[in-house]
Amino acid sequence: MRGHRDLAFACRAALASAALGLLIPIGWLSFIAAAPLFFALPGYAITSLAFARRSRGLAPLIALTLGLSLAVLVLGSLLVSALPGGLRAGWWAALLVVVTLAASWQAALRRDPGHRISLPAMRPPRLATGAIALLAGGLVLAALAIAIGFVTFKAPNAVGFTELWISPRPADAIRVGVGSQEQERRSYRLEVRVPGDAAPVERRLSLDPGQTKVLRVPLPGQPPARAQRVVALLYQAGTQGRPYRRVNAWIGGGG
Amino acid sequence: MTPPSTTGEVKAPTAHAAPRRSRAGRGPLPAIVLAAGAGLLIVSVANALARATEDTSPVLVWLGILVIALPVFYRLTSREASTGERLALVCLLGLSLYGVKILRDAPLFTFGDELIHTHNVNQIDVHHHLFHANTILKVTPYYPGLEGATSALTSITGISTYAAGVILVGAARLVLMIALFTLFARVSGSSRVAGLGCAIYATNFNFLFQGAQFSYEPLALPLLLLVVMAVAERESDRGIEIRAWTAPILLGMGAVVITHHLTSYMMVALLAALALVSWYLRKSWRPPNVWPFALVAAALAAFWLFVVASSTVGYLSPVLTNAVKAILHTIQGEEAPRGLFQGRTAAAGSTPVAARLLGLTGVALLTVGLPFGLLQVWRRFRDRPFAIVFCVGALGFFGTLALRLTPPAWETGNRASEFLFVGLAFVLSFTTLWALSRWSEAPRTKALLTGAFALVLLGGAISGWPWDLQLTRPLRVGSQAGGNIVSQPLAAAEWSTSELPEGRFAASTADADLILANGHQAVYAGPFPDIEDVLSNPKLEPWQLELLSEHDLRYLVADRRVASTDVMRGYFFATSGRSAGGPLLQKALISKYERLPRAARIYTNGAITIYDLEARR
Repeated sequence: MRGHRDLAFACRAALASAALGLLIPIGWLSFIAAAPLFFALPGYAITSLAFARRSRGLAPLIALTLGLSLAVLVLGSLLVSALPGGLRAGWWAALLVVVTLAASWQAALRRDPGHRISLPAMRPPRLATGAIALLAGGLVLAALAIAIGFVTFKAPNAVGFTELWISPRPADAIRVGVGSQEQERRSYRLEVRVPGDAAPVERRLSLDPGQTKVLRVPLPGQPPARAQRVVALLYQAGTQGRPYRRVNAWIGGGG
Repeated sequence: MTPPSTTGEVKAPTAHAAPRRSRAGRGPLPAIVLAAGAGLLIVSVANALARATEDTSPVLVWLGILVIALPVFYRLTSREASTGERLALVCLLGLSLYGVKILRDAPLFTFGDELIHTHNVNQIDVHHHLFHANTILKVTPYYPGLEGATSALTSITGISTYAAGVILVGAARLVLMIALFTLFARVSGSSRVAGLGCAIYATNFNFLFQGAQFSYEPLALPLLLLVVMAVAERESDRGIEIRAWTAPILLGMGAVVITHHLTSYMMVALLAALALVSWYLRKSWRPPNVWPFALVAAALAAFWLFVVASSTVGYLSPVLTNAVKAILHTIQGEEAPRGLFQGRTAAAGSTPVAARLLGLTGVALLTVGLPFGLLQVWRRFRDRPFAIVFCVGALGFFGTLALRLTPPAWETGNRASEFLFVGLAFVLSFTTLWALSRWSEAPRTKALLTGAFALVLLGGAISGWPWDLQLTRPLRVGSQAGGNIVSQPLAAAEWSTSELPEGRFAASTADADLILANGHQAVYAGPFPDIEDVLSNPKLEPWQLELLSEHDLRYLVADRRVASTDVMRGYFFATSGRSAGGPLLQKALISKYERLPRAARIYTNGAITIYDLEARR
């Protein structure tokens, strides 16, 4: 690899990128560290191998570097999937590092000794202060746009609703859940009619938007031999008669 | 070799060299970057208002898109910009317009195909292997390129499927723009043509939304263009240097084949066409004729189709045969043509007349520009295979417009258009250059051309994506009293994931997509098997119960929203003042399950009720 600084750098970067990507526990930081391994280094190494004796222009070089890196990810998934344990972080990192190292090594062997491959026009342009300010302004606006995109805004016209669900698990009880996806805090009356109980179980509850409460209703004695229906009715506070939500489950009878 | 011309004069194909005039970073590029940032901010604010259920018009999004795209196009018309600056501009355009899609949906995937592919990635994360079943779109796990690559990002870094998918498709978008630029520059010998061609390509119907989603085609198409770029570059090399291209081309071809079926067939067709045209022009099968690559591509695609993904035949053949039948029936007058700008479901909104006119104006401008570009290309490049194939593609694009007139052929035409638009973009870049040279490159001429570009860009956006979905809709929002709340279908999906993690469901398509993307359950929807009829008939027939039993579908999601069968609109909140879900279906469609002796109504949120069909043992 001596005399081929670009390839030596690619190899070191691949090792560092893989190690940092695997070791850093914070997703985004890990991604930033591993990004060259995903999108640049394998493609650059393969391009260097293919064109060991002649450099390409900047645009084809970038296209091949990025595009072949993607191709390695796509095709590599078939290979890694076939390995013991399958598609896991360690195998992925190993594959991408091996591709980069092997292609770089072969490229170094194929290049003529003493022949330096120069990267085309990679020097950053000298920018005036005004140009830097404009570029920075553009990036700040784009970042602001993305930040706004990820903010959850209040949506007063979204029609809220309430969830009611029932589960005959565990065997000695019934669980009834009420979830509010309403716009405001709401109050409810929950009524659970269990066979064998003289009076329905009643609870009054209030829920904030996004909140869920689960009521556990113990079953009286052993489950009945014949399947019987448990009904849960939810009423909006202050309303009588027609229930707002209704669910049911079966208990007993082996169910 | 000489560098590509930055002017309108088109020279022989050349290699890429250092820019001759203004460098990237000087000139107006920084100001154009600022404009792109401002455009994205406008788009983001428009979508934020829409998510906040404020009354917003798509015009605001269009304004943002124009703020992004017009300065880029205007600059690309100039002689002064260097090759590097033009490349930077097209990358800026491609990525900024990709940002428009991201800002519409962040921080969740909301397109039907995206949810299906999300499920495939989640399956890989759980099982650590490819090819796990997808019950909604059975063919997708057999083209695992996208999901496999995404799993590399998620498994090593731990970022979410959404983040990994957005980054991966963004990287693919960058490949698309650079490969297209290099391809056009190589074929025309002019970086000015290349820049204009890339900008014009960005006006195709699917560039803004459909082609930017987390799905297999937005990854496969850039890889295809990489292959085509490599083939074009190879053609300019001589002797032993030609061989250097073999490995990159084969790698690209392999990646295309395992990523997307239609793109791989397009690749075979394109390489075959290039080989034949090359033979016709040069009377030689010797290199750089690409026939060996066409053969290898055909062999790879056939191997994958018949050995690995044989279900693709059953998936694609009805689509294609129905399309052909529909075209014949329409020609014979047996079927009325599809009305333009019509949604496919009852929940779709109508497109205003002004927007329709804009869409049609865009197509009219493309049509008017075509002959001028064809003439220019024919005069200069009729001895070059790529140019001939591009001209055929440009003409073929208008054929796909005809397919839009029949409902079953609509999708085929829509899918084919973004491939054929590559040829049209190349041809129309010459129309633009011709106009500039004819009217002395005056600022007024550039402004007029930029105006035409704006009309085509907006027309493409309107023709390619439903009017009522240009802006996002609320899916997860803040409530009036504080705390976040989610839409009805999403709430039902999240509940089913937490309470019935191993469940097997029958559901309407929109509900099914959300359940699939949120968890690891098996969900069946649509006509195969015929869940559609189970859900939509007012009465349950014995065969329908047998069907549910046969597929072991214990849980049934009954949804009264008309939008529940709409994989574009069926995921969101209903909003007061404008019914996002449309009217509710008749109650009998829900109550019919109450009569089943073993069934229990285990979940409800009003419009959506989930039944356990085996609750009573």
